[in-house]
Amino acid sequence: MPTVIFQLPDGTERKVTAASGTVLMQAAVSNGVAGIVAECGGNASCATCHVYLDAAQSELAGGPNDVEDEMLDFTAAERRPTSRLSCQVQLSDALDPMLVHVPEEQV
Amino acid sequence: MNAVSAVTTAAPGAPVVDLDLADLRHDPYPAYAELRADAPLAWVPSVGRHLLTRYEDIVHAEKLPEVFSSREEGSLLLRTVGPNMLREDDPNHRRLRSAAEPPTRPRQVRDLWAGAFERTAHDLLDRIAGRGEADLIADFAEPLAAANLALVLGLHQAGAEDIADWSRAMMAGNSNYADDPDIWLRAERATRAIDDAVAEAAEAARREPDGSVISSMVHAAEPVDLTEIQNNVKVIIGGGVNEPRDVFGVGAWALLNRPAVLDRVLADPAASWKRVFEETARWVSPIGMYPRQLTQDHEIAGLTLPAGSRVALVIASGNRDESVFERADEFDLDRPNRPHLAFGGGPHFCMGAWVARHEVSAIAWPLVFSRLKGLRLEEGTESPMEGWVFRGPTSLNVTWQAA
Ligand code: FES
Repeated sequence: MPTVIFQLPDGTERKVTAASGTVLMQAAVSNGVAGIVAECGGNASCATCHVYLDAAQSELAGGPNDVEDEMLDFTAAERRPTSRLSCQVQLSDALDPMLVHVPEEQV
Repeated sequence: MNAVSAVTTAAPGAPVVDLDLADLRHDPYPAYAELRADAPLAWVPSVGRHLLTRYEDIVHAEKLPEVFSSREEGSLLLRTVGPNMLREDDPNHRRLRSAAEPPTRPRQVRDLWAGAFERTAHDLLDRIAGRGEADLIADFAEPLAAANLALVLGLHQAGAEDIADWSRAMMAGNSNYADDPDIWLRAERATRAIDDAVAEAAEAARREPDGSVISSMVHAAEPVDLTEIQNNVKVIIGGGVNEPRDVFGVGAWALLNRPAVLDRVLADPAASWKRVFEETARWVSPIGMYPRQLTQDHEIAGLTLPAGSRVALVIASGNRDESVFERADEFDLDRPNRPHLAFGGGPHFCMGAWVARHEVSAIAWPLVFSRLKGLRLEEGTESPMEGWVFRGPTSLNVTWQAA
């Protein structure tokens, strides 16, 4: 079971585990990780589940699909090269432990 | 059909609270505050549903669409427009939503629609600018929302007035909890007119795609038939006029009553109008509640609701929940940025959110407040807000210095 380490804007960390294949947003929401709002429940239509992947892992995780890419232009916190919608990222053994930075704002 | 049929009585142990619909229409917020404090899940006979009023419980329900089903038996919306995506669950909801959604995504809004939205807003203001007085709802917000909606939907033959009329007729049907036969008749006339307009537009879009919602549905990867397009366009017309219109009206009302706040907004418009939009939608949510029906027994707010129970998620109340929003009854642009519930949550998250954000916060408010100098409410204007299922100002009479 991959581990995800969420780094929150206040500097604290939340460590959670979830099965490989689980959607990153789901892993955050079901563990009550603050700062992942996910209003649309994972349908890439709200842009409130924005995260920054760790630079070293971002390439391995792959880039956003077209719909996600568009949404990422409209996130509340600035878009960076490592930006993803956590509802479009799956956990995998290749990304264990996964390091995720939660942005300051989602709305 | 639902596996379980609707239970139209109170769940065992649920408190029964009598609320008068006329009082709710006038101002539902005092009643909601009492419900949140004493009976966060209450059976309200006049509504025929349990009202769920606390923020946390509403979010819980939104996150469990497989328990809190959108397929409500005997729904007023179903009666008004027929089967449609708002009253479907996934995967059928997803098929229809995916077909209809692309033109409402934010990049499309910016690249395809924003220019025309802005021209329409200027045209409407040109018509009234020299008058020095207007009703900003009837003379500006409603025709703007209706014209923009016609464009995004691809109903090129329909005028803004048709769209606005149809919308009003269907909205009255959707909130016809009193079962008034005249309201049903008006709604039927409107839906027949929409059916014809959509059939014509779909035929044209089949030959020549135009990026609109109808066109997108006609050419969807997973097929959508004409009746489905017609019914879903009805739903979108139902909500698509009043929501941007009402959020415009509520925000303008809030600012015109708070000159110091308005000055601050105008001093830093780029950053401020977005905040005004989200705080306005929280403060007086254009959609106040929507219904769900339980697919199985489920415990929430300290009670067990049996399968088939009918629940109304009162997002207008959740948005005033003091445990989440301090001094929740106040309009406050400086409050901590917490997610409000005005767009709903989960798979049914408002499809028009990006369209409305843009047309109201990037176009309508900035143009009105920059073009109409010295804008103020007409003397003695009392709160024009009305409604609880849907809420907004019925009129907004203002004056300004005509050039
Ligand atoms: S949850 Fe809405 S975009 Fe990811």
